[in-house]
Amino acid sequence: MVDHMFALFTLGNMQFLLRGAGMTLLLTVIGCTAGLIGGFLLAYARGIKGTLAAPLRWGATAFVEVFRRIPFLVTLFLVLYTAQMIVPRTPLFWVAVVSICLLCSAYMAEIVRSGMESVPAPQIEAAEVMNFSRWRITWMIVLPQAWKVILPSTVSYMVMFVKDTALASQAGVFELMFAGKALANRGLDPFLVFATVLFAYFAISWPLARFGRWLEARLARRTHEGDRR
Amino acid sequence: MNYSLQFGQIAADVPYILSGAWPTLWITFVTFFAAAALGMFIAMARLKAGPLASRLAGLWVTLTTNSPLFVVLFFLFNGLPNWGILLSPIAATLIAFIVISSGYLAEIQRGGIQSVRQAELDAAETLGMSRLQILRFVIAPHVIKTTYPALSNFFIFTMLGTSMASLVGVNELTGRAIEVSSRTFRSIEVFSLVAVTYVVLSLLASAALALVGRWLFRVKARMI
Repeated sequence: MVDHMFALFTLGNMQFLLRGAGMTLLLTVIGCTAGLIGGFLLAYARGIKGTLAAPLRWGATAFVEVFRRIPFLVTLFLVLYTAQMIVPRTPLFWVAVVSICLLCSAYMAEIVRSGMESVPAPQIEAAEVMNFSRWRITWMIVLPQAWKVILPSTVSYMVMFVKDTALASQAGVFELMFAGKALANRGLDPFLVFATVLFAYFAISWPLARFGRWLEARLARRTHEGDRR
Repeated sequence: MNYSLQFGQIAADVPYILSGAWPTLWITFVTFFAAAALGMFIAMARLKAGPLASRLAGLWVTLTTNSPLFVVLFFLFNGLPNWGILLSPIAATLIAFIVISSGYLAEIQRGGIQSVRQAELDAAETLGMSRLQILRFVIAPHVIKTTYPALSNFFIFTMLGTSMASLVGVNELTGRAIEVSSRTFRSIEVFSLVAVTYVVLSLLASAALALVGRWLFRVKARMI
């Protein structure tokens, strides 16, 4: 046991795991940023009125419904093989980025949509009466109020998502779980290795979850005070 | 780009892959109901038990909701054998899924229990209802009604999550896809078939959950 611990907890191994954790964070940040943008575009497209825009609406709805209902693992494999068909020897990092963007935009589209729906309808009707374009209504009236609902949900989605990125290791992408598997394959005690990896994920996820709850409470309090004023 | 889609080559394996839906479904059911029972127990411990028990329940929720299921699964399946505990793929899967899901379900059910107002409980007591009657006629309907949408979401989430079981060798939908794709090398065909199967399965599950909610618990839920 002690021998195993000395073998695992060396400076080199810890740096290796830290690099993996850095990649996990990078994948999460890329996913959530792309997800916010993609989710906003999808939510916006789903709300465009008019018969001509119907295919756009249906397309956006279909995208959201389909990618929310495929397991991340299957999306990852599909992207992996499709990418290799189109571009031979696609870097695995980009495979992970593409699948993460697909998944995150589908999930974030629902978050953004429920945030935008939280804005009282009379405000939007009033703006329509004043002949505001839909883009201006969204940008100047809906989003400044909706972000209070969107932001806390985004952070709690991020908390879920950090843990999903572990699956990217299965496609051979270097991140925290991949680093753990590599160490276990090198002959180090898998019990200790995976316990350490588990702890590392906890150390990333827990503060993020606390931050999310704090943010939610703070924004809820502020909104409440605003109501009273 | 020298790849052309050849669905004909996997035609013989299609029934085999599709019947992988059964393991997927039963793992989902077992996990969900076992974790819901455990989660209910934890939620009650958190709200109604002494300070030590409620602390422990809180710790359990924090630990389980902040650990990645995939890593826990690997830990159980690849880490424990070194210490003499050998788990079969299915045992490791069920343990990992139930443990992790119980934390999330405890949080959902805690929210439901907390939403029962004290006034309703007082009124029930004034009417001379027993504790069991209060649980059956006052608390349970209220909790089910408020938590039903979150619970059905989590059910779908669990169903999609079971695909991870394939990585420790459980032969469910994704597991069979991996097996067939490494035998026939028609990976895109196999995985797109499986993706469609998951979409169909989860749409059916959503519709069934919405109907059950409407008929049994009078919950107004969106069909999709």
